[in-house]
Amino acid sequence: MMRKTTCILGLLLLGATAADAQLPFLRKRGAQPQQPVLQGIDALRADFAAQAGGTTVYFGAGNSLLGATAKATLGLQAAWLRKHPEVVVRIEGYGDGLDTRDHALAVGARRAEEARAYLVLMGVPPAQLSTTSWGKERPGLGRAVTILVR
Amino acid sequence: MKRQFLPLLLLGLCGAANAQQPAATVIAVPPLTSPDSGNKGNEMLAVGWDVTQAIEADLRQTAEVMPLKPNRDDYYSYPEVTAPTFSKWRSKGAKALVTGFVQSRSDGRLTVGCYVYDLDKGRELARKGFIVGAGDWRRAAHKCSGLAYTAITGAPGMFDTRIAYVAENGSGEARTRRIAIMDSDGRNHRYLTPGDAMVLTPRFSPKASQLAYVSFAGGRPAVRVVDLASGQERPMIASDSISFAPRFSPDGSRIAFSMMLGANSDIYTVDAGGAAPRRLTTAPGVDTDPSFSPDGTKIVFESDRGGSQQLYVMNADGTGQRRISFGGGWYATPQWSPDGQWIAFTRRGQDGRRIGIVKADGTGEQTITSGPGDEGPSWAASSREILFQRSGNDGRTGLYRVALDGSEPRQMTIPQDGSDPDWSGVAE
Repeated sequence: MMRKTTCILGLLLLGATAADAQLPFLRKRGAQPQQPVLQGIDALRADFAAQAGGTTVYFGAGNSLLGATAKATLGLQAAWLRKHPEVVVRIEGYGDGLDTRDHALAVGARRAEEARAYLVLMGVPPAQLSTTSWGKERPGLGRAVTILVR
Repeated sequence: MKRQFLPLLLLGLCGAANAQQPAATVIAVPPLTSPDSGNKGNEMLAVGWDVTQAIEADLRQTAEVMPLKPNRDDYYSYPEVTAPTFSKWRSKGAKALVTGFVQSRSDGRLTVGCYVYDLDKGRELARKGFIVGAGDWRRAAHKCSGLAYTAITGAPGMFDTRIAYVAENGSGEARTRRIAIMDSDGRNHRYLTPGDAMVLTPRFSPKASQLAYVSFAGGRPAVRVVDLASGQERPMIASDSISFAPRFSPDGSRIAFSMMLGANSDIYTVDAGGAAPRRLTTAPGVDTDPSFSPDGTKIVFESDRGGSQQLYVMNADGTGQRRISFGGGWYATPQWSPDGQWIAFTRRGQDGRRIGIVKADGTGEQTITSGPGDEGPSWAASSREILFQRSGNDGRTGLYRVALDGSEPRQMTIPQDGSDPDWSGVAE
């Protein structure tokens, strides 16, 4: 029993040493020094999504009214953004699939704008926020998504 | 003298065509001949045969004119061009005849002479000569087809025109879109944008020298204008607002479009050079898809100001806005026909999206296509045909053209999926 555990530990140690030994080599050929990237915007994005209960708010077909669930999500997004004034976000609005192209583009823009206006109402400085619209041109219709840009 | 006869003859022929609708006017297309002799003559006869086949192909695309299949062995002498044997072609069932000649010029170019006859009356309807480069015989053929089509129907021919559309490849997030341009018969297909940014709604200037379209290259949708000869490109206006749905005025001097101001989409016009933007609508809601009347004095557009998308007409300065669609359902993407008679639109009902037409005063509404995934009508220069996009249940999207006479839409052959078609006016 004891012997077995020690044996496994030894193997693990060996493995770790081997991995460590290779690291400088990997870095040299080194596509990317990965650690800073992982800790940067991706970590912020993960934290934002977890704290705000989601990056996405949904709308009923044909309208751009914020429901109670959407407002709750945006309220949590606003709280997070107030704590991270250095972060800039883009709100991407989507239209509805049954609409004609240009109408869907306008509806998407309007949904993004409604989400933006609510974040401003909740105390987020406008300089942190921008909007765009994908109309019905990309998958994932009927929503507005808040995306951390930097 | 001859000029005075022409309108009368045209009326007679049109009357006959109407009486037997929807049967098309049968037209004979004997091989173009040549006054040249020797080797040059043979060379010109060969070009003439190419032109003949191109004319037949052009006319076969139309609903109103039906060409007889040309026969290369039907040798046509040069004197026959101006003095056809009317009875011979009448006996083959033709009502009209188009033919002519190809002659080499000392500067290396070609003269293509084109003659159109009414066989019943035994009279000439039209004649015209076109001088083109030796490699450009196809354009002369398109011009000749247009001469015949106009002589028979009274409407402008749309053979020497171009089509712009959005070429689509791949699916989902990986779907790429490029602006593509081709001749209306599908030839000279080329891509204008590389596909690295999403693009929408290409719209020609009246003479097809410029193209306005929506690009997402800057992160948000914005209208760009490209000069087709030089390839030079610029933003339509100096603004970082979301702008879309561009459409040139009939004289090419202005562009009408939509722009977002906060949550509100309104109609604006701007000089084609980008100066002096002017806001025409202020209603809360989505106002978009403006299209000028052919005389430039009015604009039709869609608005959801009343609760659902409907068509409205206003003066080109924004005054006198009034609703013209009352048939139930939602109306969108209006475009005014080049002859001013009709406004084509997409109508969305319980059973999907269809293409229809209505007069500018809101009367005479007709449904043209059966749907259920039809969208974005664009008129032919003839005002007799409409090009539109149709999406199937399989997610594929193609371009279709349909005549107003109720015949079945025909799918255009393009290298991949296509959407947002725009059909140009006749090129100079």
